[in-house]
Amino acid sequence: MHAVSIEASRPAEATAPSFAAVAEELLDDVYGYLLYLTKDWALAEDLTGETFERAFRRWRKFDPRRGTARAWLLAIARSAALDWFRAESRRQRREQRAETRERRPESSFGEGLSPELEDGLRALTAGEREVVALRVVLELDGEETARLLGISPTAVSTRLHRALGKLEERMRRHDPVA
Amino acid sequence: MTPSPDLIHELQASRPVAPAALRARVRETARAPRAAAPWERFRLPVRRIAVVAAPAVLALAVVSAGAVGLSRSGERDVFSGVTRPTEDAPQSVEKETLGATALDAPTGTRDSAAGPTTGRAQRVSATLTVEVRNSDAVSRAAQDALDLTRRLGGHVVSSSVTTGEQAAATMTVRVPVGKVQQAIAGLSGLGRIVSQRVTIDDLQASLDALERRQASVRNQIARIDARLGTESLEPEERAVLETRLQRLQRELRELRRGVTATTAEARMSTIELTVVTPDAGAVAPAPSRLERTLDEALNVLVWEGVIVLALAIVLAPIALLGLAAWLGQRLHRRREDERLLSA
Repeated sequence: MHAVSIEASRPAEATAPSFAAVAEELLDDVYGYLLYLTKDWALAEDLTGETFERAFRRWRKFDPRRGTARAWLLAIARSAALDWFRAESRRQRREQRAETRERRPESSFGEGLSPELEDGLRALTAGEREVVALRVVLELDGEETARLLGISPTAVSTRLHRALGKLEERMRRHDPVA
Repeated sequence: MTPSPDLIHELQASRPVAPAALRARVRETARAPRAAAPWERFRLPVRRIAVVAAPAVLALAVVSAGAVGLSRSGERDVFSGVTRPTEDAPQSVEKETLGATALDAPTGTRDSAAGPTTGRAQRVSATLTVEVRNSDAVSRAAQDALDLTRRLGGHVVSSSVTTGEQAAATMTVRVPVGKVQQAIAGLSGLGRIVSQRVTIDDLQASLDALERRQASVRNQIARIDARLGTESLEPEERAVLETRLQRLQRELRELRRGVTATTAEARMSTIELTVVTPDAGAVAPAPSRLERTLDEALNVLVWEGVIVLALAIVLAPIALLGLAAWLGQRLHRRREDERLLSA
């Protein structure tokens, strides 16, 4: 893995990392988050690409004093995903063909996950998967997650607890001995 | 329900990894040369401008208020003005002194007022306020003023003396014009001069006009008398001349009265004297230039504040509507996001 730096990407911040370095470091995080959110690897890839294009255009505006690059990128990723959800919702309403929608093959949330856990994750809502991705998989703290989602830390904690509870319940049903 | 550590561990151990194709695509994006859009190059640093502009506007408001206050404070300094003389209006010379301190000066040297010009008919009037130490001094000063007036050949027009805590005396006296300076100097010596105002109206032009008209009327009367003495006049013509003669004689009487009144006016001057004590507070000491400047500056600042407040009142409903629309749109968007994410 090597970093590709862009010359003079942020002249005012001599010590700040280049966009290429940040992208290289945080690509998996952004992709993982979007995969959890959309449960569709192809869509997650598209949205990841779009996220980095948007981020590249706005890189001059990024201020490290106001938050980490990861939080900044994840906020852009969330915005891109919500835009897509909105557009998709409109399209479905307009064409009224939600039932006849083409079904893609189910995506895996990551290598090594048990089928039961995969099923459990798929059964969660996008909001629940989102909080699992941020708090558990990407290990963001409660405050950072709350800022990103625009809700209170308590709400984040509640949502995470509910999502993990559902997963536990699902796993227990698959394996009653556990 | 506490999530099992195994579940957490499994989720963390299986973090999704971006496919190689996606990684290559993102690298390509990051490597692309980025040309700044034209509007980005001319983007105004709004926050920096606001940080500089806000104190600058405030400073400008204060400085302008100070400048206006300074310029206006000078307008009420000691003033003396001469009105432009005209054919009909009498010339007027006015001199005012505020807050003069002549308490210990010899009586004869106190007069700073313009005196009447000898040989010309002039109406001289003066307003004088002096401050004495207490109620007893007010009575003494009033009595001294009356004595001085009589000594100078004048008389009292009106007089009012109040004793007690709010002790004060006001009187109007008339003294011969030739002794007005002496009178003012003497009255000023009764206490500390708080204010002094001497007004001189030149009546000579009016008097000259009256006398010229008087001579002309006399000549006309003499001519008519001479014609009426002729026996060859027609009755109608005689009647017209007699009517005219009567009118001219009436006018001559009026002119004589006018000349007499003007001469009398020019002979005696009028002095209004007010005697106060410091406790009475009847006359506040004149504010200093600095105090007047600050006062005027404060007035300007108050007006600036009023204008800003008026603008705020006008713009506040619009701003509130805008804020409400923005908050509503934000709330709607958040709810829509929640709905989308609950699927």
